[in-house]
Amino acid sequence: MDFSYLDDWMEEEAGEAIEEVGEGYRHVWVLAEPAGGAFLPATFEAMGQARQLADQIGVYVYGVLLGSSIEPLGQELAAYGADKVLVVDDPRLAEYQPETYTQAAAELVDRYHPEILLLPGTPLGNDLAPRLAQRLDTGLMSHCSELGIDLAERLLQGTFPVFGGEMHHTVTCPQARPQIATLEPGSFRIPYQDTYRSAEVQQVDVELSDASGPLQWLDLDATVALPPVPLAKARIVVAAGRGMGDAEGFALVAELARALGGVVAGSRGAFDEGWIAEEQIVGVGGEFVAPDLYVACGISGDVYHYFGLQDARFVLAINPDENAPIVKLANMAIIGDARQVIPAWLEALAD
Amino acid sequence: MKIIVPIKQILDPSGITFRRDKERMFINREEYILDPGSKAALEAALRLKEQADGGASESGWSVVALALGEPHADDALREALAMGCDAAYLVTDPAFKDADISVTVQILAAAIDKLGRPDLIVAGRESGDTGAGQVGARLAEALDYAGITDVYALAVDRSSVRATRRWGTGYAAVRAPLPAAVTVAPEAFPPRLPHGARIMSAYREWDVPVWGLEDLDLTEADLSPRLALRREGFPPPLETGEVYRGDPDSVAQELVIALRLQKLIS
Amino acid sequence: MDFSFPKEHELFRRMAREFAETEVKPRAKAIDREHRVPHETVKAAARLGLMGVPFPQKYGGMGGGETGYCILMEELGRVCTSTTTVIGAHIGIAAMSIYLDGTEEQKMKYLVPLAQGRAIGAFGLTEAQAGSDAAAIKTTAVRDGNEFVLNGAKVFITNGDIADTIVIMAVTDPALGAYGGITAFIVETEWPGFSIGSLENKMGIRGSSTAECVLQDVRVPQENILGQFGAGFLTFMKSLDVGRASLGAGCLGGAWAALEASMQWARAREQFGVPIATKQSIYFMIADMAAEIEALRSLVYRTAWMIDTGQPHILEAAACKLFGSEVAHRCIDKAVQIHGALGYSRDYEIERGWRDQRITEIYEGTNEIQRIVIAANLFRPYGMRIPT
Repeated sequence: MDFSYLDDWMEEEAGEAIEEVGEGYRHVWVLAEPAGGAFLPATFEAMGQARQLADQIGVYVYGVLLGSSIEPLGQELAAYGADKVLVVDDPRLAEYQPETYTQAAAELVDRYHPEILLLPGTPLGNDLAPRLAQRLDTGLMSHCSELGIDLAERLLQGTFPVFGGEMHHTVTCPQARPQIATLEPGSFRIPYQDTYRSAEVQQVDVELSDASGPLQWLDLDATVALPPVPLAKARIVVAAGRGMGDAEGFALVAELARALGGVVAGSRGAFDEGWIAEEQIVGVGGEFVAPDLYVACGISGDVYHYFGLQDARFVLAINPDENAPIVKLANMAIIGDARQVIPAWLEALAD
Repeated sequence: MKIIVPIKQILDPSGITFRRDKERMFINREEYILDPGSKAALEAALRLKEQADGGASESGWSVVALALGEPHADDALREALAMGCDAAYLVTDPAFKDADISVTVQILAAAIDKLGRPDLIVAGRESGDTGAGQVGARLAEALDYAGITDVYALAVDRSSVRATRRWGTGYAAVRAPLPAAVTVAPEAFPPRLPHGARIMSAYREWDVPVWGLEDLDLTEADLSPRLALRREGFPPPLETGEVYRGDPDSVAQELVIALRLQKLIS
Repeated sequence: MDFSFPKEHELFRRMAREFAETEVKPRAKAIDREHRVPHETVKAAARLGLMGVPFPQKYGGMGGGETGYCILMEELGRVCTSTTTVIGAHIGIAAMSIYLDGTEEQKMKYLVPLAQGRAIGAFGLTEAQAGSDAAAIKTTAVRDGNEFVLNGAKVFITNGDIADTIVIMAVTDPALGAYGGITAFIVETEWPGFSIGSLENKMGIRGSSTAECVLQDVRVPQENILGQFGAGFLTFMKSLDVGRASLGAGCLGGAWAALEASMQWARAREQFGVPIATKQSIYFMIADMAAEIEALRSLVYRTAWMIDTGQPHILEAAACKLFGSEVAHRCIDKAVQIHGALGYSRDYEIERGWRDQRITEIYEGTNEIQRIVIAANLFRPYGMRIPT
């Protein structure tokens, strides 16, 4: 659908908006991140939030694309809520270059004066946003898990976790413009894709230095060998109990740990069965752990085991027996056979 | 080769209890520690120096720690010295008390200018308390340095820095010319324990110069924060004993959603 | 009055604690079960300068003084008494006696490598017939030119079989007895004639080795006499006196670990529908443990301060060892009780703590000897001699 008929109505509101916001900054922008001819889901999350924010204050959503040969992607942003799309298509933007991207984005901002600019909190977004905020001498709310508008003052409110997620802070950027926020991927709903929606896609030229960016991309598929995390310090622990049945069942637990980036552990029963080493026992005669997430697979959870995970922030148990002690102690208990739940979980993660 | 490591001192989280049910933060024991992100940055910088010359300080390599904080941030700087830094500087002033990230970066940039701009700045990716993760990249822009964030492996030669950084869903190897500012992932640089003799010397033999507002070139605009704190809040208390039943596939979908909501998995 | 630690010592405590958690604790169960010394831990300690905590940096030490040493022993004592024993014997009596009574040449030659952890030290006093009655030693040292020839057998020597340097007490003049007849010698264990006999099979601290050291015509140059010729008794009394404070610190760590473990268990274990921590019989025990630990903590660090500031401290140091070992005994005993059957299980660390603690009332001067030392100090101003 074509919403350009609203342009006239928007222009009429412009007078009031300028006084409230100061210096005529309007509209909500999303710096979309194309990757391999498509968008990462994080971009759509940002689009969804942008749409909600824009609807609250009655402004447009602009999708902004920086890259090379990316013009065809513009309409896809329309389907996710963009009213207009700005594209800077330039071979000098083919690879991410902090300075060049900052330059391009800053020039667009200076030209069009968005009041709000959202970026997905991807590695690129987290690299570019602070640099851009510094260039524009404005505030950046980073790692936001929630966004809102203070309608009385027409201010973006960004909420992000602090103290490792034990608390959150909500901030605003009262004076400086644009108000920039990066969105923590996975925190927001992906909006419904409305393929009937279309937007005005505009190619924009910006002044970019001819010199090639200083960053050399040597290998886009590099690997790192991380030092092993001791069990006592692990953030995610996936533990196996006798309920896993046999070595094959235990292998599922190990696979889940790999998928979640966690450390494998187990109950004394798992050690007696020969699936884990003594250093991997949690509880009496073993380690005390304090992870953010503890997954207990096929573990009954008697005090000798539970003792070791008292300080875990979130305990998830998978056990077929509803009366197992761990069911009452866990924050979330799945009543089922872990040998079936884990493969389903792995599949759900892959989606 | 001169490396500056901006460090931060934070409240020791083990002395704090967060009661979601009471929506309050209780400081049971007010103690301060050297931020783990900063420790990782120090570790990364010290490794670079050791790899280059076996750690000899006559070689011309120096690693300098710089902290903006309260006067007791001196303790964090002493710990940095004990770990192996060649020098440490404290920037503190009542005027800096309400600094947000933008102001922090302006102050650090001014201090770095006064110290003499280094070849390399190594910062933690984010701090353990506020976790904004902006200082490194903002400093790169403020000083017009090349910048690489979220680095897992780091190497440096006379004119460039080579890093393996988080990129997309994996990692990428990049090279940037010096001068550069990088931020490092804490999990990739577990910090060393400081040698006992250096711990003793850190307080007895080293001098940590203290700079205040009048020592740095800062305008009033530099010191005005861009962000304002509206609210401090708590996540809802976690329930126990919440039971999920059903066939494995639907139950798995539910649990993935629930865990993502709790920010436990991505 | 300022009861706070100097800042460098607070930073040192944090480092010592992390060292204990990452290097010592993971090995504690295995070294007890396998009855072996944790050589990897000792190497890691040496790398961090921990094998010479109290000694000045000019002798290769850390410069932490007695206070720093007590901090180390406390942090190690929290996680593994065996490791505390290995490192404690090395620093506290072996290297310490060379520090207190050695010549500059001896310090440079022997103390420096010990403080840097490049060599391991042991202290050879006890013999089969001479425990508390230390003066009854029979190892002889007979002059031959500018050497002394040593013959005898020492027993219950911690680190005896892994030491490079051992300070041996020998009788140089049987007629003179304890005062004037005993001399201390610095012996290198690789010298011909020095051998290890049997190793003790102990109830606890099984991660440390306690060896019989046999000297058969071991030739020791006269430059290796430690302290004054004939004044060996004074040499070993001095180092034992100082060593006692740090033993108290090790007991403090062990007692504190017993308290922490008891609290953790009492919070988790539910009986009769509530955590047992809410039952008076349990929390009264825990409160008693805590009160005694507070008293011991003040005693230990005040004594360390007195040693570091050059004040007389013999009574206080003996009190550290006496009170500390008995507090540790009561605390670990209560901890076993609080843990119930779990406290009796070899799969859990409490029973190891119980076995390890018992030696603290026996070694480095039995608690009976400590009482004699305290009484002797109390009555000396009145001109009364307290006999052994």
